[in-house]
Amino acid sequence: MPVVVLLVVFGVYPLLYSVWLSLQERSRVTRQFEFVGLKQWEIALTDPRTWDSFQVTLTYTLVCLFFQVVLGMAIAMLLDTERRGYGLLRSLMTLPLVVPPAVTGLMFLLMEDAQFGVLSYYLKQLGIIDPLNPILAGNDTALIGVMLADIWQWTPFMVLIFLAGLRALPKEPYEAAAIDGASAFQAFRMITLPLLTRVIAVAVLIRSIDLFRVYDYVYVMTSGGPGTQTETLSFYAGRLFTLANFPYAAALALIVLISLNVIASIFIKLFKVRF
Amino acid sequence: MSFREHDRKTFIADTCGDYASRRISKREFIRKLGIAGVGLSGFGAAMLGGGRPFRGLDFGNPAFAQAGPDEAMMQWLSEVGKPFAGTTIRYTSEATPPTIVANQLAKEEFTKATGINVEIEIVPLEQVLQKATLDIQGQIGTYDLYYLDQSWMATFSPDMEDPREYYDSHPDIAMPDFDWADFSQPLLDGISMYDGKLVSIPFDIPIFILMYRRDLYEKHGLKVPTDLNEYMANVKAIQEAESKNGIYGTTGQLRSGHYSLECDWTAWLWGNGGSIYDKAGMFSGGDEQGIKGLEYLMEISKNCPPGALTWTWDGEGQSVAQGLAGQVITWGEYFPSFDGANSKVVGLMEAAPPPKAISLRKPEDCGFNEIPNVGHQGGSGLGLSKYSQNQEAAFLFMQWATSKDVVGRGSVLGGGASPVRLSAFTDPRTLAAAKVGPGTTRHFPAVEKTINTMMGSEPDFPAWAELSNNTIPVELGKYLTGQFKTPQECMDAIKPVADEMAAPFRKA
Repeated sequence: MPVVVLLVVFGVYPLLYSVWLSLQERSRVTRQFEFVGLKQWEIALTDPRTWDSFQVTLTYTLVCLFFQVVLGMAIAMLLDTERRGYGLLRSLMTLPLVVPPAVTGLMFLLMEDAQFGVLSYYLKQLGIIDPLNPILAGNDTALIGVMLADIWQWTPFMVLIFLAGLRALPKEPYEAAAIDGASAFQAFRMITLPLLTRVIAVAVLIRSIDLFRVYDYVYVMTSGGPGTQTETLSFYAGRLFTLANFPYAAALALIVLISLNVIASIFIKLFKVRF
Repeated sequence: MSFREHDRKTFIADTCGDYASRRISKREFIRKLGIAGVGLSGFGAAMLGGGRPFRGLDFGNPAFAQAGPDEAMMQWLSEVGKPFAGTTIRYTSEATPPTIVANQLAKEEFTKATGINVEIEIVPLEQVLQKATLDIQGQIGTYDLYYLDQSWMATFSPDMEDPREYYDSHPDIAMPDFDWADFSQPLLDGISMYDGKLVSIPFDIPIFILMYRRDLYEKHGLKVPTDLNEYMANVKAIQEAESKNGIYGTTGQLRSGHYSLECDWTAWLWGNGGSIYDKAGMFSGGDEQGIKGLEYLMEISKNCPPGALTWTWDGEGQSVAQGLAGQVITWGEYFPSFDGANSKVVGLMEAAPPPKAISLRKPEDCGFNEIPNVGHQGGSGLGLSKYSQNQEAAFLFMQWATSKDVVGRGSVLGGGASPVRLSAFTDPRTLAAAKVGPGTTRHFPAVEKTINTMMGSEPDFPAWAELSNNTIPVELGKYLTGQFKTPQECMDAIKPVADEMAAPFRKA
């Protein structure tokens, strides 16, 4: 019973309130709400800025996910050893996870600053970026700049999950493969990956949901700019909420929620994810 | 680290240790930190997050530490505050100098006298807006007072008591000698009035003034510019001569999507004869003068450090203090930080009123009480919530925080950033601080002249906060980063939204 009460208070009621809010219009003059049906949803679905931010969100999610999975797996395999000193390395992996995302955003904002940033300095030295175009103000580079912060902070999360999965794998298939003359890569492809599929799927699902809702890094590093180049759905909704356009913001937030649910459901079915 | 620096840090560490272990009083602690050149900025910068603008709060005048509060006022507070002892009042604010000062002094002065506790939540400006918006929408009364940016006065007007009327109708808690006439009329009109109602009491007055490097002007034979054409010529001259040395013609707060970019744009728009709205209440940023203003902004951006496109007020102020810019027209509030401990331009900066506009549109030809001029004001006021459960206690605090004594001292403590009263300009403590050093008030004459003769104010209507924090800076950001081919395209993108938002507030 207490669980049901908690669920209703903190889950069901806010959701229903958001749905109610998304069916209203707030007068800028009287500040009263008026029922307008699905008008906010229509506006949201025909607003080019919604689709732009959806595209930014999707790009952000897929790119960050790719790097976090690949790097996470590579680092996890390197750390999956009993050699001396590696225990300490495994512990250090948790450090980025305890830093608040807003602080990480601030850190990367400074590192990527065109004048004072250490990252900008070395990228300029290497000829990778144009000295006159700051990373976070470039139409082609701003989103990459924000992604770097996310990848730095959350790759260790993937490492820890994959490492736990790797440590739980049975030794016998690897011994058999070694007798059959399998290379390390073959063993990884034919044994490790199939055995880790569910672990990877759960990790990907959790991170996808998080990535799709990204707000902190964008807020701190770019305010969604230049223009709307780094404006994610959550940030756009948040901005509208700040500026008192509650009904439209609620509609956008629900679109994020529905999108996430659809994507997650497809993913769970496809990869037979069990919790 | 040099021996001198080592000694200074050791001295500070020992002083902090002595204070923490109750070996010295707070007054002695402040005095010693003043001698060491450490001020409120240390606390503010380290603990309060990003505020506007880059702060330089220093106890520049150690003698100030000996100057206590006004005894008569404290006596009165202790008498009228008795019925409210134990009450807690709350407000949320940006980390501007007067708030930091109020936060520092409230406990040891106001609370000590009245028994009223004060809780100040210090967050970035956009979060102040968010919290205030939610609070008034629900009429919750979470906050007893509101820190209101000038651009929000119309938005929050229905939710605020008129402080002047409240003062008159509550003589038992009306501070004697509060002296309403001590607030300059242009400041009251620009910051606190909406539709004939006083919405707040002026609390902070960052305003655009000219700040330039005297050494570079002398080196290159430049004169203080008298209009914006001359200013641009100086910008280009320094850019051309000094960019190889890492010094740019000017700097900016040009981050896309941020209100700071809108602030810069308005100064150049107004300075080129344009306005945001015409007298019919239609967006006029895309007319001939408006386009000139936007081209001027683009030209300015080309002579800034590249990082300016990612900076808000904090980065802009930092860039000057780090010696990256030859001159800038921006918030005078920065100036004390240029003479501060971590500045590379100590004693090199000079302040002057901004250069005259190339042409200027009359206020009567603009809409929504917009006042075009180069001296863009970004002031704020303290508003008394209609939904507060502790109105009287909150009003006592409001009067204390905006009293002659606190404003006068705050102008020195706050690094010369909040002279909202006329008396602050003639206060002996303020005049004594008008020399090179932390917490300088050398720029006060320029600030005063700008307030009285060159102040520009944004339009007043309830949807303005939404427009100036979203559509305008987002589209301007696109223009500055080449997403629009022409300035006209940028203004054309803003116009339909700006007109639609203003529509309900146009007078027939």
